[in-house]
Amino acid sequence: MNLINKLGGIEAFGIFSICLFFVVFTAAMVLAFCLKKPFLKNMSALPLEDERPQDQPSNSDSL
Amino acid sequence: MTNAASPPRDQRPTPDRSSTVETFRYDNRIVRAFAIATVIWGIVGMTAGLLCAVQLFFPGANLDFQFVTFGRLRPVHTNAVIFAFVGNGMFMGIYYSVQRLCKTRMLSDTLSWLHFWGWNAIIVAAAITLPMGFTTSKEYAELEWPIKIAIAVIWVVFTINLLGAIVKRREKHIYVAIWFYIATALTVAVLHIVNGLEVPVTLWKGYSIYAGVQDALVQWWYGHNAVAFVLTTPYLGMMYYYLPKAANRPIFSYRLSIIHFWALIFIYIWAGPHHLLYTALPDWAQSLGMVFSIMLIAPSWGGMLNGLLTLRGAWDKVRQDPVLKFMVAAVTAYGMATLEGPALAIKTVNSLSHYTDWTIAHVHTGALGWNGMLTFSVLYWLLPRLYNTKLWSVKLANYHFWIALLGMMFYVIPMYIAGITEGMMWKQFTKEGFLQYPNFLETVQQILPFYRLRAIGGTLYLFGVWLMAYNLWRTARAGQFVPEEEARAVSWRSQTLAHAEPAFTHRWLESKPMLLAVCALIAVLIGGMIEIIPMIVVKENVPTISSVKPYTPLEVLGRDIYIREGCLACHSQMIRPFRSETERYGEYSKAGEFVYDHPFLWGSKRIGPDLQRIGGKYPNAWHYNHLDDPRSTSPGSIMPRYLWLLSQKLDTTSLPARIGALRRVGVPYPAGFENKALDDLNQQAGKVVADLKNGQVTAQPDRDIIAVIAYLQRLGTDIKLAPKPVAEAAGGLRAGN
Repeated sequence: MNLINKLGGIEAFGIFSICLFFVVFTAAMVLAFCLKKPFLKNMSALPLEDERPQDQPSNSDSL
Repeated sequence: MTNAASPPRDQRPTPDRSSTVETFRYDNRIVRAFAIATVIWGIVGMTAGLLCAVQLFFPGANLDFQFVTFGRLRPVHTNAVIFAFVGNGMFMGIYYSVQRLCKTRMLSDTLSWLHFWGWNAIIVAAAITLPMGFTTSKEYAELEWPIKIAIAVIWVVFTINLLGAIVKRREKHIYVAIWFYIATALTVAVLHIVNGLEVPVTLWKGYSIYAGVQDALVQWWYGHNAVAFVLTTPYLGMMYYYLPKAANRPIFSYRLSIIHFWALIFIYIWAGPHHLLYTALPDWAQSLGMVFSIMLIAPSWGGMLNGLLTLRGAWDKVRQDPVLKFMVAAVTAYGMATLEGPALAIKTVNSLSHYTDWTIAHVHTGALGWNGMLTFSVLYWLLPRLYNTKLWSVKLANYHFWIALLGMMFYVIPMYIAGITEGMMWKQFTKEGFLQYPNFLETVQQILPFYRLRAIGGTLYLFGVWLMAYNLWRTARAGQFVPEEEARAVSWRSQTLAHAEPAFTHRWLESKPMLLAVCALIAVLIGGMIEIIPMIVVKENVPTISSVKPYTPLEVLGRDIYIREGCLACHSQMIRPFRSETERYGEYSKAGEFVYDHPFLWGSKRIGPDLQRIGGKYPNAWHYNHLDDPRSTSPGSIMPRYLWLLSQKLDTTSLPARIGALRRVGVPYPAGFENKALDDLNQQAGKVVADLKNGQVTAQPDRDIIAVIAYLQRLGTDIKLAPKPVAEAAGGLRAGN
């Protein structure tokens, strides 16, 4: 659109947006893959903890 | 019940000596209240939808009663299903799961009940005001400003209650379901406030502060993300909690859930412009919306696969357990809808699908499949637990499943066929280069059988909900309600940590809910900002068309009646730049034509033809007769009769306030115009009545229909006038002055 072009650099908007997403996606990937298995195992089982003995600490603090 | 997924005892931390086991109680009363509201509003919302569906092949089904015409009833259906059925369903799911995942009661019982009664009072207010015609016309945001304020207040109550419970949790790390709940609470607040800004005129009328293209962009930024953050993220949170519970297996991949969450909330917010492809919205914004919509497939399918793969090794249970059956169908429908959505956002596909029933099919794959079936599964899972009993009839629940699935198929398949049929018929040319079906009614007649089939599908689906309601009622009667459920847990705060939490890891973030909330909000706001910036940019650069002038007072009132009657539910006002559309309707729509449109009325569905260039196409008498009895001028039309417009007196008492409010939002009415607006109105009404007389129609000038005719005759005519210098654009009114 001619009128949008008057602002200049509008073409970069799309590229910037995609790059931004790439950064967010990569950061999420890195954070996810840095987690250790025992923690992941405990967290994924969290909804099922109702039946666990209730005087046990429930999360994976020391794992 | 054995928990096969719990880690071995030797992997558990030994409780610190100083740790104390705390005893507390979960509040089941509030969960039950939301569950009951979910079922009731589900029946109400779906019944309203069925009444809408019937009117589309039997227009007399409203019995000429203005409060239940299709245009007024459609927002009742959409609001009831989205905010009443799914809304209460989401709160039911959240209130139950948050307490257990955080091992705490909600922050405050008072806030819980204020939330419940406030939310449901808002729904009742919507069910009363929408049939009365009090509407902003903005889809899924139709409620007028006093109710909008109430929604904001109640949403804040919910958010405080949610975040408060999370803060006082006994579980150190917050589970993925809660991240989705947090994102829902924060994002919906932002969307609701930004899109809802309007200048009040009367108690039940306001004008959007945005106009035309800007209004369209903000509305669909909101509209698309209402789908995202009301219909999707809270339900994904529920999937992550209730699916493992029902299958008694941990979620397939917690890592995948992290990527799913961040990618989904980041991308979803950008995709709004795909609702405005080929409209007057700047092309680059359309492309951005399209690209991000396609990218949305990845996180959506990541979530779907995470759900389905959770059932690995438990598929034998699906055969017997109706809860899992509904969950599998829901997650599968989610996958189908989230594959189809991006496909529909591709411009070439959208050029065919937009304005057709294909969109309706897509929406209902999501609503009936994903939201409906997941809600049913949670209800079937939850109610027996709340009443400490078993489901009264598993067999009946299985019948419900198959009836619901059949109903959904009967709904969506005819709508797909209807959508593609009408899309192709609208675009079909003869060898000689003329439209093959120049009369819009030819396409309408072609798809009527599919509308009938759709109503059968809706009836089946609704019948299934009644079966569920009966089954749940019998379950409740057979059991004993457990209002308070005692629980014991060791708070993480009372323990001495074995080692420090490594900072800046996701694990660390999961132990800091407020920081996670801020990060989620930033992820969402980035997309919002990059959509709002173009809005501002466009606002500064909307091409001014010198001949486009503000509406006359009579046209203003006519436009408001058009909004009141919900005409835009069936008629678009946006001609796309395709030869098939310009041949049928006239010149394509320009951004500059809508600069005084508060709100925009582009519509999203063509059950009837586009009206952008209807002005001057037919004489006034044709419009009068058409509104009196559409089939007298257009045989085979499915439009309802608008008899009340002929008899109801035009309300001019708020005219000065309307002119003043429109000036405040930027319409350049001259100073003091309010004082002579009524004279102007009477003068123009007199001209319309005189012209009607020439068409053998006798009418009184002070009736609603005169204003509607004046508005319709104005539509799209401004650009037909000779262009004038831009500087003159703001001066005076074109007609009536």
